[in-house]
Amino acid sequence: MNVLAILMIGGVLAVPAVGLWALHWASCNGEFRLIDRAALLPFDEEEPVGQPTDLILNRHSPTT
Amino acid sequence: MSSPSKTFSALMPGDLPEDSSKRALLAEIDASCRVPVLFFVVSGLLWLLAGTALALVTSIKLHSPGFLASWEFLTFGRVRPAHLNTVIYGFASQTGIGVTLWLMCRLCRVPFVAPGLATVAALFWNIGLTVGVVGILMGDSTSIEWLEMPRYATPILFVSYALVAVWAVITFRLRQERQLYVSQWYLLAALLWFPWLYATAQIMLLIDPARGVVQAAVNWWFAHNVLGLWFTPIGLAAIYYFIPKVIGRPIHSYYLSVLGFWSLALFYNWNGLHHLTGGPMPAWMITVSIVASVMMLIPVTTVAINHHLTMWGHFEKLRHSPTLRFVVLGAVCYTATSLQGVANSFRGISEVVHFTHHTIAHAHLGLYGFFTMVMFGSLYYIVPRITQREWPSLGLISIHFWGCFLGLVLYVAPLSLGGILQGLAMNDASVPFMKVVEGTLPWLQIRTLAGLLLALGHVAFVANLVWLLARVFGPYRKPVVAILTGIETPAIAGK
Repeated sequence: MNVLAILMIGGVLAVPAVGLWALHWASCNGEFRLIDRAALLPFDEEEPVGQPTDLILNRHSPTT
Repeated sequence: MSSPSKTFSALMPGDLPEDSSKRALLAEIDASCRVPVLFFVVSGLLWLLAGTALALVTSIKLHSPGFLASWEFLTFGRVRPAHLNTVIYGFASQTGIGVTLWLMCRLCRVPFVAPGLATVAALFWNIGLTVGVVGILMGDSTSIEWLEMPRYATPILFVSYALVAVWAVITFRLRQERQLYVSQWYLLAALLWFPWLYATAQIMLLIDPARGVVQAAVNWWFAHNVLGLWFTPIGLAAIYYFIPKVIGRPIHSYYLSVLGFWSLALFYNWNGLHHLTGGPMPAWMITVSIVASVMMLIPVTTVAINHHLTMWGHFEKLRHSPTLRFVVLGAVCYTATSLQGVANSFRGISEVVHFTHHTIAHAHLGLYGFFTMVMFGSLYYIVPRITQREWPSLGLISIHFWGCFLGLVLYVAPLSLGGILQGLAMNDASVPFMKVVEGTLPWLQIRTLAGLLLALGHVAFVANLVWLLARVFGPYRKPVVAILTGIETPAIAGK
């Protein structure tokens, strides 16, 4: 078995192994428990929930 | 900006202290992203223009074979793979990386780490790509679809990609927000999957080529997964970020988004071989691929339901936000192309549509209708923030959207229908093959017209971007409050 074949097989085994490790890590770090908080991560004090952004078309403003 | 020691410490094992620094302000993060993100994005859009020109030449040649036929570097066999590679690796990958860099910084709540590293990566990527595309036009194509760039170009691309991956690891390690948003899951997974796909395909097809039908199997495993495990996660990450951000409402169900991610990770990898239905492959391999294709209904429906219910009650904002227009159109196309892909994987349908223009329409609905639209929408959001300039022309935004939308409809619908008619005619032994070819001509002419509309949209977008960038070097800044909130304020003069 040459080196490339070993690399191929290693890759095939490594990717699902990384996936399982990521699942375990996520579980241990509360990624599946703190769901409600995770959904709010795109928002913060500067751009909070309820504040739309990027509404730049058809504003019907005198300055546009 | 992080210090070198902080950058290196991020690569070391063990968690960083939680209070190593404060969470950065959004404006600080955006400003730090300017050079590397713009480098990837602007060069990606220049490759888009090149890819569009090559696509038009290719499309015209399909119904007028004598067009530009006297130059060998413009023959169909060279122009078509040159178009594919400029669009895949030049535009889509670079724009996707640019959007990935910005999203990672925003969601990790850290300013751009090691911008020099990412800028050098972008430089290498463009050098490698230029060498590869020129190689294809000079006749050095490998003839393996989606991997046509000659072997001497790919190591440069791989070095560039490795630098991006190192950057992602550093940024992830330095993050100030410990919990991950679903977009980060998609982005990190894409950054893991792409080198695996690319390296495996390079080794098994070019460096130490497998023999016989294994080549076809690896080729389709790679080509299909580049779309599903590289572009799709980046596109979905952007959708999951930008729809909530623009409408100001969290995603409808975070549970569904997590389910969608893990089911994509589990099932997509098996899909590629359904393109070899009817080929000289072991039947069980095709069957497994078809089953996995049907299982893709889980991530696709979860994503579709989630996006639709998040948008529910906010559809009027489509009138006001270019980001939302493009991103929602991309999300709709994702659902459509995925369901079409599931249907096309069935043996009975595949025997009609395979080897026809229907497959070309399907591929464009995925890569263009879904991914490219989402990238356009993302750029409408990102570029004003990292440059602190508004888009100069709202008219050019409209031309961009409607050119792309009408072009997309005119491309996908007729070519899908024409492909089915072509497949039915090809399966009828009483129809001469030349008659089948002649029957495709009207659809191919419509496709060229669609290409012109798409080109119009692309030129409008790039013109608007160049205009905006020209203002970056101008003496006055425009107010950025309107960009962030959509609320007009009196102009603020001065630097």
